Amino acid sequence: MTELAPRPRLALGQARAGRAVRSFDPRMLPVKATTVPRRVLAAAAAAVLCLAATQSGAAAPAPTPSAEDRKCLACHGQEGMTKSFGKGDSVPLHVKGREFAASVHGPLGCAACHADVDLKDHPGAGKPFDTARAFSIAQVEACGQCHEDKAKLFAGSVHAGVLRTGNLAAPVCTDCHGVHAIARQAAAPAANDVSCRKCHDAIFDAYAKSPHGQAFGKPGPLKAPICADCHRAHDVSPAATGTGLRDACLGCHAGAVEAHAKWLPNTKLHLEVVSCPACHAPTSRKSVDLRLYDPVAKRSVTAKEGQPPLDAQALSDLMRGVNRDGTPGKMTLVGRLEVRSGAEAHQLTGKGEAIKDCVVCHRKGADPFQNVTISIVGADGRPVRFAAQQDVLHGAGSVDALPGFYAIGGTRIGVLDLLLALALLAGISAPIAHLVLRRLLRRKQAAAPAAKRE
Amino acid sequence: MPRLYVHPLPVRIWHWINALGFVLLILTGLQIRYADALGLMSFADAVRTHNWVGGALILNYFVWLVFYLFTDKIRVYHPELNPAKHFRGSLRQLGYYGYGIFKGQPNPHHIGVYRKFNPLQSMTYQIVMILLVPIQFYTGVLLWDLSRFKGTVELFGGVRVVDSVHVVLFIFFIAFIFVHPYLASLGHPASAHFKAMVTGYEEVEEEPGPTRR
Repeated sequence: MTELAPRPRLALGQARAGRAVRSFDPRMLPVKATTVPRRVLAAAAAAVLCLAATQSGAAAPAPTPSAEDRKCLACHGQEGMTKSFGKGDSVPLHVKGREFAASVHGPLGCAACHADVDLKDHPGAGKPFDTARAFSIAQVEACGQCHEDKAKLFAGSVHAGVLRTGNLAAPVCTDCHGVHAIARQAAAPAANDVSCRKCHDAIFDAYAKSPHGQAFGKPGPLKAPICADCHRAHDVSPAATGTGLRDACLGCHAGAVEAHAKWLPNTKLHLEVVSCPACHAPTSRKSVDLRLYDPVAKRSVTAKEGQPPLDAQALSDLMRGVNRDGTPGKMTLVGRLEVRSGAEAHQLTGKGEAIKDCVVCHRKGADPFQNVTISIVGADGRPVRFAAQQDVLHGAGSVDALPGFYAIGGTRIGVLDLLLALALLAGISAPIAHLVLRRLLRRKQAAAPAAKRE
Repeated sequence: MPRLYVHPLPVRIWHWINALGFVLLILTGLQIRYADALGLMSFADAVRTHNWVGGALILNYFVWLVFYLFTDKIRVYHPELNPAKHFRGSLRQLGYYGYGIFKGQPNPHHIGVYRKFNPLQSMTYQIVMILLVPIQFYTGVLLWDLSRFKGTVELFGGVRVVDSVHVVLFIFFIAFIFVHPYLASLGHPASAHFKAMVTGYEEVEEEPGPTRR
């Protein structure tokens, strides 16, 4: 059970505070919302925000909380007010009134987001939450009532996917935008204070040292990217699935395809199957990921549909397993050359330092082919990888099980090497043996009549 | 010794361009496939050379094809349209190379203007020129630009299938490139057939002496 700490005094004859209810209660809106459709409400909110934006001149006085909000702030304005969930787990309930009033949501008032609070039994009633995090996540459902488009994008993101699997560490709206002091475009902070860094610290450090990180925020004709510019802000997709990141690179580096085509054979194919950092983060460790792909649905196979074997050596069995009789389209493994970690993917360097030596990959024993995984898309949208032995790339069976991935030299089939050795041996030795035998027998034939004559 | 004009100029031009091209393709092919073991040239140069030479040989192939399609010389491949006889002749020729030649027996094949190939040669060259070389060119073109020919590559089962076919034929041609000059050296003297492929004329021994092929 949750309890409030410290419990505030009742003020202005209002109902008690502290209730957390998930359902939307239109009676709590400052207007008679029972008769106002939600879309009208959203439009009204947008209009208020626009009005606020147009009136935000330098000379305008600092906004102050409305009379309605001041009733809430009578309790929630008290510093140190928290909601406790036991074992030291708590969430602050203190709201800085002026900051909220000055925020982008200030004109909407408290009830616009906290419409679930019924003042008659506030605090005390409402759905109980086990943890402060669960409580905080429940609160952000209110965001989607106005920001439907962003909520929809977020629902398809890897963060939402992680959340759905029960991992509450995944970020929600307030983790990036803040809670009450939400400023316009608050999710685009300075480079050293980006919200993604809270979880992806190692990646951010690598980014900060890269040309992108070094150039971020500096004046110039081009704006250097930060996290959301490549990974997107709301519909963040897993880095290792799809071609979104390749497209993000090419979105800015528009001439990259032509520049590569000047020296790189099969340019389009390389850009399709080799991730950009594999060459542009030259010190990164590389690997090959074989994604199970459904040609009918035209997407990677998700964990629910795939039946990955625990024994990765049985690649042929896996392919036969997923391509059972009656399967509408033959599922294939689509190979990609990637870097092994997110941090390494951000160790980008200048163009001059990028790998241009083909033999880094196109030779037997090359680093990328030492680490092979077979992946499907997990329930949370992230790839689930299964380690595979290197021979899945080199065995004769790869012609059947892995027909779509081949790197000349790097993943050559061992049996063909043996066949070539035999052909060379036969091609050279057969004529020599024939010649020697011919000479010897001719000599013998020439000697035989002479012996007869004698 | 009588001389027969058996190698017309277009055939000789095609042959020597083809010979040089095959050697280059084999060397660059080996360099591309075994970059970890060979150091003839850089991988990128090997790929570029391989692509250009391959393209040149495809054009050159049409010199051969057009010449034989539009002249009566096509008869050199089938002097008599009798497959059974052709097959028996091939076996006889094989017997000669495998046994008779060691016993000093005469070559069963007698060269003529429309009989410049022995039956075994004729059969082998037809398989090579009508089947193997076109497949090698075709798979080479697919591998040259896999994105452009993505649909076709997938139709054949994927890049690894196409590449494996290309490599298997490459292996065959490597063996061929050694055996072919050796068989050409069985003339009298050993340089006779090489010289003929330059001048166009084969010297024919008077009947009933053994012929050279």
